[in-house]
Amino acid sequence: MMEQSDAAAVAKAREGDHDAFGVLVERHSHALFQLAYRMTGNEQDAEDLVQEIFLRAYRQLGKFESRANFSTWLHRIAANCAIDLLRKRKSQGEQDGVVDPVPPDHLSSLPANSPPPDQAMFHSEIQIQVESALHGLTPLERAAFVLRHFEHKSVEEISSALDLGQSAAKQAIFRAVHKVRRSLETVLDSAK
Amino acid sequence: MKHLSEEQIILHHYSEPEDGERIARHLEDCPDCRARYQALQQALALVDRSAIPHRGENYGSEVWRQVRPRLPKREQSSGPLSTLWGLAARSAAWRVPRWALVGGLGVLLLAAFFGGRLWPRSTPVSPRQIATSAHPVSREARERVLLREIGEHLERSQLALIELINSQTNGMVDISLERSLAEQLVVVNRLYRQTAARLGDSGTANLLEDLERRLVEIANSPARLSPAEFADFRRRLDTEEMLFRIKVVSSQMRARELESARAVPGTHS
Repeated sequence: MMEQSDAAAVAKAREGDHDAFGVLVERHSHALFQLAYRMTGNEQDAEDLVQEIFLRAYRQLGKFESRANFSTWLHRIAANCAIDLLRKRKSQGEQDGVVDPVPPDHLSSLPANSPPPDQAMFHSEIQIQVESALHGLTPLERAAFVLRHFEHKSVEEISSALDLGQSAAKQAIFRAVHKVRRSLETVLDSAK
Repeated sequence: MKHLSEEQIILHHYSEPEDGERIARHLEDCPDCRARYQALQQALALVDRSAIPHRGENYGSEVWRQVRPRLPKREQSSGPLSTLWGLAARSAAWRVPRWALVGGLGVLLLAAFFGGRLWPRSTPVSPRQIATSAHPVSREARERVLLREIGEHLERSQLALIELINSQTNGMVDISLERSLAEQLVVVNRLYRQTAARLGDSGTANLLEDLERRLVEIANSPARLSPAEFADFRRRLDTEEMLFRIKVVSSQMRARELESARAVPGTHS
């Protein structure tokens, strides 16, 4: 059977066809999980975020332009959901007087085909350092960095996704890269 | 020879087409800049080595099982409101900044809302008139959209202030991002404030006036401040107090929005 295009599935979903929306959910869940994990650095948060993204997308289907790319549109929603979540986390941490720790699930979240133990240790160390570096970013900086670095979005696309001017989007990327580089300097120095 | 800025090196790394050839030539000729470029590449290569937890083949179906029971009923997309949303969605294609269009729509809706709320009707409206009205958007629906618009504006302002609070304070503090955000927000904020004041909602107008003063100050500040200047700047802005007020008003607005949604049976927000 020929695969239904995103545009056709969106059109049916807009008419109330839940199964058509299900096709979109099944098709885009993996990519969204990756994005959500990059944005949050936490497996459970990423899973919750994926569901929230689809729920928000469904509520906003009426705003989707049929000429647009559905995946790009989902990324936009994902970025904003992630920013909301990260802000909530930061604000909760500040209220509780807790310094937000680096999420502890890195060792347990190594891929199934992990390398031997010593290499795994090295990888997990990098993982912790990288997450710690990303953790030092503000929600907006992290979203901009993930979209630029991992999703390869242009400054123009990022400014559109985050509802920022292009100069603000650039500044968010600059600042994020600057912080990440500074934060990883010690790892690089120790490897020399 | 003038060295490349960190921004130029970052843009070059991500192949953003800004003077790419000149920068590439400079990197060939200048060992200092080349070393900085390589250090950046190494740091970002480390980021690429971080792993993502694996999800099985059935992950999509699992997500759908979780999401399906939570889907709200779909409302048919017709009428003036969906037309407005359609305009907002198309704004990207027109290269009109979304915040500008949304701000404009917000002001129109604000006027419609406050107008409907504050100005007395000269003649009673009969049920028949309501039924045959050429304006099928209910007052509750207008109120919900309006509250959402102002709420979003406040959230964006809150985000700019939080970014400011979280700025790095070791060495010179770069607040160019917050300046750009504030410049955008001032325009929309001014429109909301003027409309609210004209229509007599002094509570909203006061909050927006205080917010605007801070946004203008951020927009007009130097892009880089010393730690002492930054501390003084933050004290002057009293950011924490502003954030607290925004939080209070936003939560009141969410409550009003929920109340308004409950007033329309079968409506889901």
